[in-house]
Amino acid sequence: MTAPLRGAGPRGRALERDLVALLGPSAASCAPADLWAMSRDCWPRSLLWTKAGVAPHPPDVVVWPASTDEVVQVVRYAAERRIAVVPFGAGSGVCGGAVPVKGGIALDLKRLSGPPCIDLPARTVDVETGMNGQRLEELLGGAGATLGHFPSSIYCSTIGGWLAARSAGQLSSRYGKIEDIALAVEAVDGTGQVLRTQDAPSAGPDLLQLLLGSEGTLAIVTKARLRCWPSPTSRWMRGLRFGSVQAGIAGLRALMRSGLRPAVARLYDPLDTLLAGRGGRDAHVTVPEPLRWVVEGAQSEALRLALRAPVLLNRLVDALPGSSLLVLGFEGDGPFASSDAREEGELSLRLLAAEGAEDLGPAPGEKWLANRYRISYRQSPLFSAGAFVDTMEVATTWDRLDALYGAVRDAVAPHAFVMAHFSHAYLEGCSIYFTFVGLSGAPAGSSDADDLEQAEERYDACWNAALSAACDAGATLSHHHGIGLHKQLFLPREHGEGMRQLRALKQAFDPQGVMNPGKLLL
Amino acid sequence: MNGLREDLSATGSAVLAEGEGLRVTPPSIAALGRAVAVLRGHLLPVRVRGNGDAPVEAPPGGALLELTALDRIASVDGATGIARVEAGCSVAALETSARRAGATLGPLLPSVRAGSVGAWLAGPTRGERAVPGSRRETAALSVSAVLADGRLAESRAAPRSATGPDLDHLALGGSGRLCVIAAAWVRLFPAAPPAYAAWRAPDLASALRTVEGLCMDRLTPARGMLRLQERGALVALSWEGPESARLLRERAVRVVGPPLEVDAGPEVRAPASSRAIEVDARWSALEAFARHSGAAEVALYGMHAGGAFAVLSLAADGVEQCAAAARTDGARLVAPRRLRDAGPAWEAMGAGAAWNRLVAALGAEERP
Repeated sequence: MTAPLRGAGPRGRALERDLVALLGPSAASCAPADLWAMSRDCWPRSLLWTKAGVAPHPPDVVVWPASTDEVVQVVRYAAERRIAVVPFGAGSGVCGGAVPVKGGIALDLKRLSGPPCIDLPARTVDVETGMNGQRLEELLGGAGATLGHFPSSIYCSTIGGWLAARSAGQLSSRYGKIEDIALAVEAVDGTGQVLRTQDAPSAGPDLLQLLLGSEGTLAIVTKARLRCWPSPTSRWMRGLRFGSVQAGIAGLRALMRSGLRPAVARLYDPLDTLLAGRGGRDAHVTVPEPLRWVVEGAQSEALRLALRAPVLLNRLVDALPGSSLLVLGFEGDGPFASSDAREEGELSLRLLAAEGAEDLGPAPGEKWLANRYRISYRQSPLFSAGAFVDTMEVATTWDRLDALYGAVRDAVAPHAFVMAHFSHAYLEGCSIYFTFVGLSGAPAGSSDADDLEQAEERYDACWNAALSAACDAGATLSHHHGIGLHKQLFLPREHGEGMRQLRALKQAFDPQGVMNPGKLLL
Repeated sequence: MNGLREDLSATGSAVLAEGEGLRVTPPSIAALGRAVAVLRGHLLPVRVRGNGDAPVEAPPGGALLELTALDRIASVDGATGIARVEAGCSVAALETSARRAGATLGPLLPSVRAGSVGAWLAGPTRGERAVPGSRRETAALSVSAVLADGRLAESRAAPRSATGPDLDHLALGGSGRLCVIAAAWVRLFPAAPPAYAAWRAPDLASALRTVEGLCMDRLTPARGMLRLQERGALVALSWEGPESARLLRERAVRVVGPPLEVDAGPEVRAPASSRAIEVDARWSALEAFARHSGAAEVALYGMHAGGAFAVLSLAADGVEQCAAAARTDGARLVAPRRLRDAGPAWEAMGAGAAWNRLVAALGAEERP
C-alpha cells in the first residue's frame, strides 16, 4: 500500500526536540511513518482517505510517555503553549476520535502497559490504560479470571480506548458495559492535574461517570481499576428462530425482564439470519444473486453493479422469508458451572417457546462463538472494490425499538444496502447494530481526482439519513462507538441544552482547550 | 429582597417569606425554570424539597424551592419497565403506580422510600439500585434538569449511551448545586413474589461475610436483615426477579448450607430500628462496624460486589454514636440528613479546582 508520507515541518521538529528534552531520547518522533500512523484510526472514512492516497490530518509530532508523570509533563508543556494533545491507544475507534484535526501532539499511550495487579478475591484488577485488551484478558485468564469485556476490536484496542468511548463487549448482558466494569480511574486533566476517582462511596456528582466517554477531551486516563470475575468453565449455547423481527424483540424483552442474565443474546434480522445460513426452516431458501454479491465480497464489478440500486436490493430483502435468529448463551463458573449454565439455558428455552421461538439446537450458537471476531476484518476488500461499509449502533427503550429499526432501514434504503442485529440487551431496552454497504466510487488503483469527493458525499448522505432517522425515533446516537468527528454534528440533537453542560465541563477540566480539540463539538 | 420577591412572583410561583429566606413554590416545570433563573441570577443559595421530604428551612438569604406541585406521573409502562415522573412526586406514590402496572422500584433505603423522586436522584445515593450481576446503576434512565439560566437540559431515554460524558451525572447526587432535577424517566423492575431464606451465623461480622460471599458469587440478594440474637446472628435474605429469585435462592442454599426452618419473609421486611443510620459502604467498612461491641442490626439494600447501602444500629447507643462508629470504619453517611457527609468529594480526588471552574461555567455560584 502506498501511504501518503509527509515530512515533518519546522514546528514538528521543534516539538520533537522539546519533548525529547523533557522525556528522554526515543520518547518522541516526527518521522513521516509515525505521523501517518497517528493521522487516522479505523473510522471507515479514513479508509476512503487511504484509498485516495491522502492523510489530511497528521499530527506534528508523536510522543510515547511511559508513566502518568510523563503524561503530566507533556500536557503541561502543551497547555502552556496551547498545543493540541490527542491521546492515541491502538487506533481501533470507528468515529475518528483519535484523528488530530488540529495537528499538535499525538500522545501514544501504549507504553503505559505494565503488569496488571489482579486481586481475584476482591474481584478487581488495576491496569495501565495503554494495555491491549486481549493481552489483559490473557493475563487475567492465567490467574483464573476474566473481565468479561469482549469487544470485536479486542485484538486491536486498549483499555484506555474502551474507557474513552464507553465500549461494550459481546457478553455485556452478563458483565455490563465498560462504564459498569470501571470502578475508578487515574487521569490527567488539561491543566496537568492528576485526578484519582475513588473505588469507594463518595459524596456529590460521580466524577468517574463524567470522565468516562469524554474521548480525551477532558482528561487522559492513565490507570483504571476494573471489576473482574472468575473465568467461566462452562458455556451453554443455542440458536432459536422467531417468525419475525417483532416476535424476536418481544422474546428478547421477555427474557431480559425475567431476571435471567444470558452472557450472549443477539437477535439477527431476516437477512443476516439467511446469509449466515444458520439453519432452521429457512436453510433451503436461496439468497438472490445481487445480495450475495454484496455480503459475500464479490468481484468489484458485480458488487458495484448491485450497489448502484440500493433500493432494489433492500426490496429484495423484504421479499425474503422473515425469520429471525436469536443466538443465546449462558456461562457458569465454580463447581456447578455446567449445571448452572444448563439450568438457566433451559429456563430460557421454556420462556422463549412461550413467545413463539423454535429451538435450533446448539450449532448456531457455537458457530457464532467460533466466528465472533471475523467480521471486523472483512472491510478492506470491500473498500478496495469501490464500496464503503460501516456500522451504526444506536439504542432505545423496548417500546420504541421496532419503530427505530424500521425508521433507520427506510431512511438508509435509498443510499445503501442495510441489515441489522439487536445486541446488548438491558432490562428496559436494547441497542441495534446496523450495517450499511454502499457504493463509494471506483475500485482501488483506478481512481480519478474527483473520486474521494464523490465517495465522501455518498458516505455522508447515507450517514445523515441514518442519524436523522435515529434521532427522530428518540434513540441515542451511539451505544458504544462514541462520537468522535463522525457524529458530532448531530450531538446538539442528542443533548439539546445539555450542550452547555458539556461545554462547561470542557472549561472546568481543560480551560486552555488543548485536549483532543475538535471532538464532541469542543 | 422586595425586588427579588417581585421577580419570583412574576415567574408564576407562590412566594412566601420563611425565616431569613424565601419559600418558592412553582406550579410547573416552566415556572421552576424561571424561578431558578431568578435565584441564580441573584447568586442565592437554593435548597430543594419535594413531597415526602423532611421539612427543611430556606437557607439564610436564599430560597427553598418547594416542588410539591410538581408531582405528576405522566406515564408508567410496566412492559418496558419505565415511568415518566416529575421530581416533586413522592417515591411512595410512584411505587404505587408502578405496582398497578406490574412493576416496582425494587428495594430502597427507608429514607429514600419516604422522600421525593427528586431527593432520591439528587441525594447521596444518586438514585442507585442493585441490578443482576452484582452491580449497581442509577434508576434514572434520563434526567430533565433545570440549568442556572432556567433552560431545561434533557437526556435521551436510552438504557446506555456513548455520546460523551454522562451529563445526567451533573444532576445525580448533586443536591441541586449544579442544576435542579425537574423530572426523570425512571427504570422499573418487574414485580414478582420474592424468594426468602434465613440462616444463623456465629456473629454479625460472620453474617456480613456470608452475604459478601454471595455477592462475590453473583448470588446477590435483593434485601437482607442481619440481626444479633442470643445464639449468634440471624441472616435473613430475599431475592427478586420473576424467573431468577427461586434459582438464586437455591444456589445460595447450596453455598451457605440448609436454611433455618423459619418464614424469613417477615424478618427481611421488619422495619429497622428508629435509632438507625443509613450508609453507603464497602463490605470491609460494614464488617468493621459489625465488630463493634454494641452493633445490633444491619439491614442491607443495593448490594453489589463492592458493598451495599445499609441501615445500621447499635443496641444501646443513639444515632450520633452509631454515625461516629460507622464513619470511623469508612462508611459514608446517607441519613439522617443532619449527619450526612457534605459533598462533593472532588477535592480529595484532585478535582477541587475543576469543581470551582465547573460551578462558575454553569453559572451556579453562590454569593459568599
